[in-house]
Amino acid sequence: MSDLVTLTIDDREVSVPTGTGLVEAAMAAGIEIPVFCYEPRLGDPVGACRMCLCEVAPGPPKPQAACTLTAAEGMVVRTALTSPMAREAQNGTLEFILVNHPLDCPVCDKGGECPLQDLTFRYGPGNTRMTFPKRTFEKPIPISPLIALDRERCILCYRCTRFSEEVAEDGQLVAVNRGAQSVIATFEDEPYRGAFSGNVTELCPVGALTSTQYRFEARPWEIQNVPTVCGLCPVGCNISATTREGKVKRVLSRNHPEVDEGWLCDKGRFAYAHLQARDRITAPIVKAGPRRFEQVSWEDALDAAESTLRAGGSSTVTALSGGESVEEAYALAKLLRRGLGANEAVLPEEVPDGFDGYRAPLSALRAAKSIAVLCDEPVIERAPVVDLWLRSARRKGATITYGVPAGDVEALVTDHAGPRYGATNVYYLPRTPNGRGVTDAWSAAGDGEPVDEKPRLLVISGDEAATDPSVRAMAAEADFVLGIGMFESSFRGIADLVLPGTSYLERDGTTVNLEGRLQRQRRAVIAPVPDVTMFISKLAERFGVEVSPHVSVLFDELAARCFGGIAFADVGERAELPPRAAQQDVDKVPGTPVPATGGLRLVAYRPLFSGAAVERTPELEFQKPDAEIQLSRDDAKARGIKNGQTVTVSSNGTSVELRARIAKDVQAGVVRVARDHARDLHAFVEVKP
Amino acid sequence: MPVREVLLAGADDRDLTKLAEYQAIGGYAGVPKARAMSSDDLIAELQTANLRGRGGAGFPMGRKASLIDRSSPKPKYLVVNADESEPGAFKDREVMARVPHRLIEGCLIAAHAIECRDVYIFIRGEYLTEYEILQSAVDEARAAKLFGDVEITVHRGAGAYICGEETALLDALEGKRGQPRPRPPFPPVQGLYDAPTQINNVCTIATVPTIMELGAAEFAKIGPESSPGTAIFSISGNIARPGNYELLLGTPMRELIYDLAGGIPDGRELKCVIPGGSSVPALSPDEIDVPLDYDSLAKIGTFFGAASLIVVDDRCCIVQLALRSTKFYMHESCGKCTPCREGTRWMVQLLEKIEAGEAELSDLDLLDDVGSRILGRSLCALGDFAVYPVASYLKKWRDEFVAHVELGRCPYGGSSSLEGIVAPLDAHRHHPGLEILA
Repeated sequence: MSDLVTLTIDDREVSVPTGTGLVEAAMAAGIEIPVFCYEPRLGDPVGACRMCLCEVAPGPPKPQAACTLTAAEGMVVRTALTSPMAREAQNGTLEFILVNHPLDCPVCDKGGECPLQDLTFRYGPGNTRMTFPKRTFEKPIPISPLIALDRERCILCYRCTRFSEEVAEDGQLVAVNRGAQSVIATFEDEPYRGAFSGNVTELCPVGALTSTQYRFEARPWEIQNVPTVCGLCPVGCNISATTREGKVKRVLSRNHPEVDEGWLCDKGRFAYAHLQARDRITAPIVKAGPRRFEQVSWEDALDAAESTLRAGGSSTVTALSGGESVEEAYALAKLLRRGLGANEAVLPEEVPDGFDGYRAPLSALRAAKSIAVLCDEPVIERAPVVDLWLRSARRKGATITYGVPAGDVEALVTDHAGPRYGATNVYYLPRTPNGRGVTDAWSAAGDGEPVDEKPRLLVISGDEAATDPSVRAMAAEADFVLGIGMFESSFRGIADLVLPGTSYLERDGTTVNLEGRLQRQRRAVIAPVPDVTMFISKLAERFGVEVSPHVSVLFDELAARCFGGIAFADVGERAELPPRAAQQDVDKVPGTPVPATGGLRLVAYRPLFSGAAVERTPELEFQKPDAEIQLSRDDAKARGIKNGQTVTVSSNGTSVELRARIAKDVQAGVVRVARDHARDLHAFVEVKP
Repeated sequence: MPVREVLLAGADDRDLTKLAEYQAIGGYAGVPKARAMSSDDLIAELQTANLRGRGGAGFPMGRKASLIDRSSPKPKYLVVNADESEPGAFKDREVMARVPHRLIEGCLIAAHAIECRDVYIFIRGEYLTEYEILQSAVDEARAAKLFGDVEITVHRGAGAYICGEETALLDALEGKRGQPRPRPPFPPVQGLYDAPTQINNVCTIATVPTIMELGAAEFAKIGPESSPGTAIFSISGNIARPGNYELLLGTPMRELIYDLAGGIPDGRELKCVIPGGSSVPALSPDEIDVPLDYDSLAKIGTFFGAASLIVVDDRCCIVQLALRSTKFYMHESCGKCTPCREGTRWMVQLLEKIEAGEAELSDLDLLDDVGSRILGRSLCALGDFAVYPVASYLKKWRDEFVAHVELGRCPYGGSSSLEGIVAPLDAHRHHPGLEILA
């Protein structure tokens, strides 16, 4: 069998790989077959909307739904371009869709970027023959605090329900009722709560599912979409930040087929509201009381910072968040290591670099036949889109083992160092968005050794570090704490001087995701404060170190050492994965030793819906994790615990009541509780019904 | 003599719901006979018999079996479509209620042909009595060790017309919302749980034991060459003796209406006959000499369909008849594809306007045009079913539509036999908070 088939579409001959769908085959010939319901990322075509009707021979003498057909040798296809039958059929479909569509385009968020408008313009009727009252429904219905549903605008393409059913596999969005009364609803009218719910607003080809944050905020002709990369987790999903009048109004996916396939988690999509937080630090602040700061001028702040750094000297310790850009981390590291000789850092990660020899794009997970997931923390909480890749792999027939696999596997997803179990593709999930890049930048900035001296000054970079319990404990010991961050409450009570930080949406720079892919972040909006690199540059000057305020210069300096000399301008909008490092025998690396103690090992994980950005997005409040404990089927069985039952979790005199959830991705001997609900529980706990 | 008993043979003399009684007339003899044959030989035999599907489309059952990919590593399934929901059809119901073992025997034979071990009978939810009879017959046959390594599961539907559409039936059987799938892939390639699946109507499968009994060659001699065998015809409406009649295919329609079923009662005149359940083009009185078989009916522009004749006399307003059936299809439209979902509702609105005497002549053309934009464009045949009868009324009884427009009211003035008989739509409300607008 040949690898190509040749067919004719609108009298144009085109050869496409065997198995290509007709819609794609037409695209290859430069011909549009219009669609609403067709979306290959959602699984098999459903042929529901009937927008793609074409004349196809061989076949029955009536219009065929092209989206459900595969290109075949000798096939003759006629689209609306050359077939009156297809043209009439497509026109008919649009007439039917519009019969009950409210046509409230002037007040619809989708208006101006609406596939229904566009296809009506190209293929639809110019007038209406419908003289009856249109079908009405109660609207809008908040299907969650994030999403509003307008059932009148809905054209029932079932993209949203298919996403829920076949991609996120949460089964929460369903169609209820029948015929003309069919509507989209959530199961049992419960709020749509799930890590990926926001994707349905982007899949919706009309204004039926809209983001409550974006509702009535902008018209498409007065916005700009800035291509950048999400900075909230180590996946580094490619996004477009929609801005209007200098404010981020929405975040959309910018489909990188190897990284995110066009899906975003709700944190990445909705947490941009943190830019406008009330406690945003907009000028340098100094401690003015136990729980109070006072604004100071930049002059005074830089003077204070300089004297503090001088006093701190080489014993100064730097705590990094892992949310900094590579350039920010490098600039800070250069100031401290070269200017002060302060080589001691608390890094956000210890990334086991042995795995870089087994680097692969996330999309390769889908092709794996066997995958082991060796993660203490739930994958979905740490790197949410990886969870979607795993689900996709399982749908394709992969065997997924949670825990140590019995034999060799093709791919390994892990959050700690250890053997690779024969995996040729290894995905290490860092804890922080740019932990890898920050670690690299810190080491590239100097090679001095830390001094063995009690630190007097602690520098805290970023809100995530400032809210980390171990960093806060160090802060309590230090004589002086200098912070760089965005929000006053992160530093209240611990910092003496805080210089304002910026968000990933407000800066230019680069970031390294979990695959080791170097990606470019772009400034979507101008921050209310100067760039971090700007004041570091000024401070560095006072210490006789040359630190450029410009990220391109900083990057070029660093690139030679870390990124194979790539030029800043070449870090494209859809970054490629760098080639694999030399393969090391990581199987010799011992895994995390598990102490042999009685009880179950508690993993107090950092939930997806937590952290500084989420805390400042009220719409995400409902997504926060339940007070539950996840345990394996075996451990539950051994203790007579049923799913959903309230259990007592105790350790060393502390106990907490939590709801039990039996989760198949938890290994025996381990239990998981979201950090907020774990309270004072120790590393080993006992669980009783 | 057009009456010949195949499906219902023996049921008047004995209680064939009992296994012993059915076996006493030679029941289940076909199973060992079939099992002694190879699957290939059995399929060849079924193809020789040329038994055409009784569900409506008339696709030869043996050919369907030959399309099953028996080399597939997946299980093969046989599904019996007992979701008889077409208005006017009640033949499967009688087979299940009176000769359930004949259906079960047919299942076992057909299962052997396609190397299937799991048979599902999807029975219309409203058929409770028939379900109970069929289920106890299944239990009795299983207890008598007649199944071998085959299992038969009777599954009750939940009351949706669309689940009689074979792919929607498969989705419903899988526990999903019952909505049709796009085809291809066809069920013999990718059916239940994506495995090769044969789907046949109750009467089709229940005829299979007779093929085994007579031999395919003999069976093929019954009735016309193009449509061998018998069919049970359900006849209802304005008819003296409504009910089921098992006849040779090819029996003239006039003979069934006037000789067997006693003609039109109360001295009324015949107005029209819908020959295949409410979903096919209606015939006018001058067309009823047509032989009742697939090809003859197709030749005059209608369908054999569910072999169910609805006889309508001259007291019925044709617009009301159209409205009644269109409301049914609007109510039963599953909502998956655009033309059927939106178009049937629009047709109802137009028909109501016409019946109310508020329409203009252009609305008749619009109704026709809306229909033509549904026809052949929907995902499954339900959309077509809504249009076929209405298009035929508009064509053959256009005068009556025009009269509604010109008089500004229904010419029957409230005396039509359908006057005030509401469609199920008006009696149904499903989801709280949602208003059903006709």
